[in-house]
Amino acid sequence: MRLRNKSRAKTAEARKQKLLSLLQKHGLGIYEDLDQGKFPQFVIPSRSVNNIVYDKKLRQYILGSASAIRSARNMSQLRSYTQLAWLAFFVNRLVKEGKSSTLRDIYYSSQAFSIDFEDQPESDNIIVDLEAVLSSPREEFHIFPEERSSVFGDLTIEYTVRGYEGKRVNLSDHPDGYLIGPSLSSAELVDTSAELVIAIEKGGLFTRFVEENVHKKFKAIIVDTAGQAPRSTRNLLRRLNSELSLPVVILADGDVYGEHIAMVIKSGSANAAHLRELTVPDAKWLGVWATDIEKYKLPTIPMTEADVKRIYDLQKDPRYQEGIWKKQLEVFLKLKRKAELEAFSKYGLTNITDKYLPAKLEESKSL
Amino acid sequence: MSSNKETFSQISPSEFFYRNRDLAGFSNPTRSLYTSVREFVENALDACDQKRILPDIHLSIKAVDSEQPDPKHYVLTVKDNGPGIDPKHIPLAFGTVLYGSKFGLKQARGMFGLGATMAILYGQITTNKPVTVKSCADEKTLDEFVMLLDIQKNKPVILKHTTKEAAKTGLSVSIVLEGDYSKAGTKIRDYVSQTSLITPYASITFEDPAGEKFHYPRIVKEMPPPPTVIKPHPHGVDVETLRRMIIDTHYQIPTVDNKMIEKVRKELGMQKKNPSPKDILDRAEKRWSDLSRSIRIVIAVMSFLNIDFEMLRKIRIDDVDIANKKVVYWDFGESQSHAVELDPESTYYKQLANTVQGETLLTFLTKRFQRVGPTTSEKFCEFAKLKPEKRIGSMTNDELVRLADALQKFDEFLAPDPSCLAPLGEEPLSKGVMKFFNPEFAAVIQRSASAYSGFPFIVEMGIAYGGDIPQTGLKVYRFANRIPLLYDEGSDVVLKVVNETDWSRYKVKGEPPLVIVSHICSTRIPYKTVGKENVADRPELERELKNALQYLARKLAVHMSRQGMADMAKKRANLYTKYVPLIAQFATELSGKKKEPNYKQLVRMGSEIEEQI
Repeated sequence: MRLRNKSRAKTAEARKQKLLSLLQKHGLGIYEDLDQGKFPQFVIPSRSVNNIVYDKKLRQYILGSASAIRSARNMSQLRSYTQLAWLAFFVNRLVKEGKSSTLRDIYYSSQAFSIDFEDQPESDNIIVDLEAVLSSPREEFHIFPEERSSVFGDLTIEYTVRGYEGKRVNLSDHPDGYLIGPSLSSAELVDTSAELVIAIEKGGLFTRFVEENVHKKFKAIIVDTAGQAPRSTRNLLRRLNSELSLPVVILADGDVYGEHIAMVIKSGSANAAHLRELTVPDAKWLGVWATDIEKYKLPTIPMTEADVKRIYDLQKDPRYQEGIWKKQLEVFLKLKRKAELEAFSKYGLTNITDKYLPAKLEESKSL
Repeated sequence: MSSNKETFSQISPSEFFYRNRDLAGFSNPTRSLYTSVREFVENALDACDQKRILPDIHLSIKAVDSEQPDPKHYVLTVKDNGPGIDPKHIPLAFGTVLYGSKFGLKQARGMFGLGATMAILYGQITTNKPVTVKSCADEKTLDEFVMLLDIQKNKPVILKHTTKEAAKTGLSVSIVLEGDYSKAGTKIRDYVSQTSLITPYASITFEDPAGEKFHYPRIVKEMPPPPTVIKPHPHGVDVETLRRMIIDTHYQIPTVDNKMIEKVRKELGMQKKNPSPKDILDRAEKRWSDLSRSIRIVIAVMSFLNIDFEMLRKIRIDDVDIANKKVVYWDFGESQSHAVELDPESTYYKQLANTVQGETLLTFLTKRFQRVGPTTSEKFCEFAKLKPEKRIGSMTNDELVRLADALQKFDEFLAPDPSCLAPLGEEPLSKGVMKFFNPEFAAVIQRSASAYSGFPFIVEMGIAYGGDIPQTGLKVYRFANRIPLLYDEGSDVVLKVVNETDWSRYKVKGEPPLVIVSHICSTRIPYKTVGKENVADRPELERELKNALQYLARKLAVHMSRQGMADMAKKRANLYTKYVPLIAQFATELSGKKKEPNYKQLVRMGSEIEEQI
């Protein structure tokens, strides 16, 4: 057992205070503008395609220097300016009172304040705007998506949410795993015996892994990413990697989307180019690789046209220009076929945990 | 319809029209009733226009037996305050077909005075009832004629003629005809109301078969200037017209008969004796400037033949051949033909040459066409590569074609003289449109005159938007020579131009409360059919309509964007009133202040500033 309760115990509280003071600073700015008869404005880093660049040093997409001004002076921006001001106001309440919300909840909450979002995508966009303005992910605002992924393994956490302060829980206590929700996201990572984090794309296999005692056999914390990993999950993976120094490996379907799920965990998405701390640059993609399909003689299905197009698209991405990432795309394109993680069931239900996983973990050491 | 000074002439029998009455719009009881109304009302308005009398028109349609179902017999009466018609012309004017006063190159509503007689003819055919015409032309006596038409002979048969005292001029025509008012009623009411729109200086009253009165009072007291008869415009002349014009301009060698010789003697003052050729020429030289043109020609010929009056009596001049410089004559005494050389040095040579070959091209252009001066003529000759001194009578066929072609293509001619046209004018049109539609916005334009195939025309157009106009989409009111066009809308050139317009470019959307009034004035409207209801799409006409419409549409767009800006300002004010207090509320809590900031100033500023970015 390793104990890694570093002096960071109060990092969550510190981040909260930092956010609150930033919000207040913005509030004061607006207040003074209004009082002096000036039109208040927000400076929002531009998220247009032209302003998203790949930073090789950071190994993720980041925003360039361009920014847009949303001003109350411009009639066509007045409404969205007010929405943004409202969101800052609402987030301030959430964070201060230690309450959590979801993307959908934000959309509905707005109605009580005469802030009319036309639909949820509009309110989701305003949330991203605030993320960019404050350079913080929405999880810091206590805003979470509806869909949640899970985590299981020997990891002790300490809650910081109101009413649970100081309470500790071990994440192997419940066989279904723990939802990566607001309270878990804000919890301090206290202690673990694990030596590895396995992120897996599918809930079904996550359960199988728990049943098969993968966490014990491989001394692993298992994370269900439920498809493309939500940001809170990516943030947790990063913290497991950086705070507890655990290596992260990824298992996804044997297709171009699986490969990209791994890539997003490793180096982020263009959608979140305005945010940091969501990437695990050292994460390793275990599989299923295109080359595994032939090597393990996996049952396959043919790719669709969209699959093929997606390959061509990714081939233009700077992150796919070298190594395993480049090679596997080429093989996928050659095969024009894909395999799911469940394909290993052909050789028995435990084949993936007994044979494939050990072999790939071994292989990954040389990556 | 007529006056004492106008000349009437009989040009064709009524039989033809009796057989072909469909052509003139008398195909069925519905159409016939409508056409009859039109013809009489238009004649009445034309008569008033010509004498510059502000028209006062009364139209009434009464069923002979209202109990009967349609189609049935109606009495149609149209009464005007025009100049009336000299009683001696009345039987012919209303009792024969194609007897009219409307010939010549100027604008009038009706053509050839054909329609009114057709209506009378139609009434007689369907009901066997006579026409009643009451007229006062001298402010003293009113003549009343009751007449039938003798169709075969194209002659009036007067059944009754009475006179009584009267104080005012005017004309009233009343016929009995088979009609269908239940079907024609809508069109007739439209016709009357639209006529009042395009004739705002007229007062029109219509009493329908149910006894309901529609009164359209006079909106303007001034009549538009009257049209005049004019010369053709060069752009509108083809080879055939040119040929005819040339024949009109150069003189024939006069026939030398006894009467002519008497005339020559008289003008020379040599009636008594028989002077020698030399005496004749000496006298002629003295009196040359007083001699008429034909006399000068006779004398010129006599000089070359060296003959006296006795001799002149015995010959016939057959040909003056300028090309070969010869005069050929027939001698009755000798019964043989002689040719005499022409001396080009002789002073009489030019006289003969001019006569036979007509005037020079330069003179022809300046004298025979409207608005062509010597400078333009010279430029044109250069353009057409024709010599200005060329005699038009000596032009070859090829040269004629080249001339006609160049006349079409030369673009430095002034626009046709519109004085033969009688557009309504922008002010009366504008007043008519305002009164008629009571719109929120209206604009009118009168384009400068243009020409198609030799006929000048002027396009006048008005546009009206909003106000009392219903939101039922664009409606087009078409007029030609102050006549409303109600039938065959689909194939009309005005509709074509309107429909080709992209209204969204002019900020007009959906089913706009929009009206377009189009008025084409021309000495000849290019109707597609004899029914005179739709105008053909001549390119020249289409272009003028398009320009007029674009001008008006742009004006409308300015109005619309002004309107839009006002709406926008209102929207702005609403937005800032709504959102600024909200922002203040959020900022107050965010900043941790107790009291809200003073944001009133910002609401006001937000409402006032112009649109940015």
